[in-house]
Amino acid sequence: MMTVKLQVVIALAILVVFAILVNMIRKRSLELKYSLVWMMVLCALFIFACAPKLLIVVSDFLGIYAPVNMIFFLGFCFSLVIIFSLTVALSRLSNSIRTLDQIVALNEKKLSELEQELREAKEKLSED
Amino acid sequence: MKKLVIIPAYNESGSIVKAVDDIRKHAPGFDYVVINDCSTDSTLSICRKHKINHVNLSVNLGIGGAVQTGYIYACQNGYDIAVQFDGDGQHDAAYLEMMAQELVSSQSDMVIGSRFIEKEGFQSSGLRRVGIRYFSVLIKLMTGKVVTDPTSGMRMVNKDVIRLYAENYPKDYPEPESVVAILRMGKKVKEVPVVMKEREEGTSSIGGFKSVYYMIKVTLAIFMERLRG
Repeated sequence: MMTVKLQVVIALAILVVFAILVNMIRKRSLELKYSLVWMMVLCALFIFACAPKLLIVVSDFLGIYAPVNMIFFLGFCFSLVIIFSLTVALSRLSNSIRTLDQIVALNEKKLSELEQELREAKEKLSED
Repeated sequence: MKKLVIIPAYNESGSIVKAVDDIRKHAPGFDYVVINDCSTDSTLSICRKHKINHVNLSVNLGIGGAVQTGYIYACQNGYDIAVQFDGDGQHDAAYLEMMAQELVSSQSDMVIGSRFIEKEGFQSSGLRRVGIRYFSVLIKLMTGKVVTDPTSGMRMVNKDVIRLYAENYPKDYPEPESVVAILRMGKKVKEVPVVMKEREEGTSSIGGFKSVYYMIKVTLAIFMERLRG
């Protein structure tokens, strides 16, 4: 069973992380969309830290001997899900960057060609 | 018939002018475009100074993304034929006209310049040849078609394939994968013998640990292409 000391440490740590998270969203350095999953994890952890009895119920239900083990196990699973969703987001982003880069490059080229034509047309006009 | 040479360039300041001159001289029926893939050397300023027709990417995309930019350019400007051409002195522009004739007369969708039909010129180093041979066998197993030089960077395609590649092109080490993609779509791929030189400038993008990644990545990509149907 968790000691009260561990309970307090975990709860405090969660609160600190939560504060950091909120502060980052406030400063817009973290997108709210991507922070939701982290908030959910923190909430779940906080509930379990405050009410370890609940932990025993759930771990009994899942057939895990030690409740702490279940925290580690669930935490690990959550992390994997988050990392995977990041990989998906990254793939999407790199595709978007590629498309954007190509469009910008080709537009830039068209623009410089148009400028060139405009310059030539103007010169022609001034000659006439 | 409008024909375009796509020259992807990443840090090719030493050889790009030569490559463009080669095309102007030996393949006068072709337009060309250099795709500067965010080079860190003076490639861009050399392109500007010599008035080389170029497109400048502002983020490095790798060979796949750069070549695809060329195909999109070809699409937008209504080219009927597009060919990839390395700017590092390996390829010889004298073959381009012959390849274009072959593409039209054999009604193929792609013509690959292969080093391994007549086995002349620079044949790549031993280990690499084994790798290329392996891809040949794999492609034969996956598609039933023989491609002797699936990693050749000298590939000419018609309008159909230009459009396909403009929409979808693999990111890194794209050659074998993209050949399989169009073979699976029932496109006709023909090979003609060419002689390639050893590169004059720069180093291959493949070597050391990267070659392990290369083999695994391309093998997987070919299997994925098969799964896509």
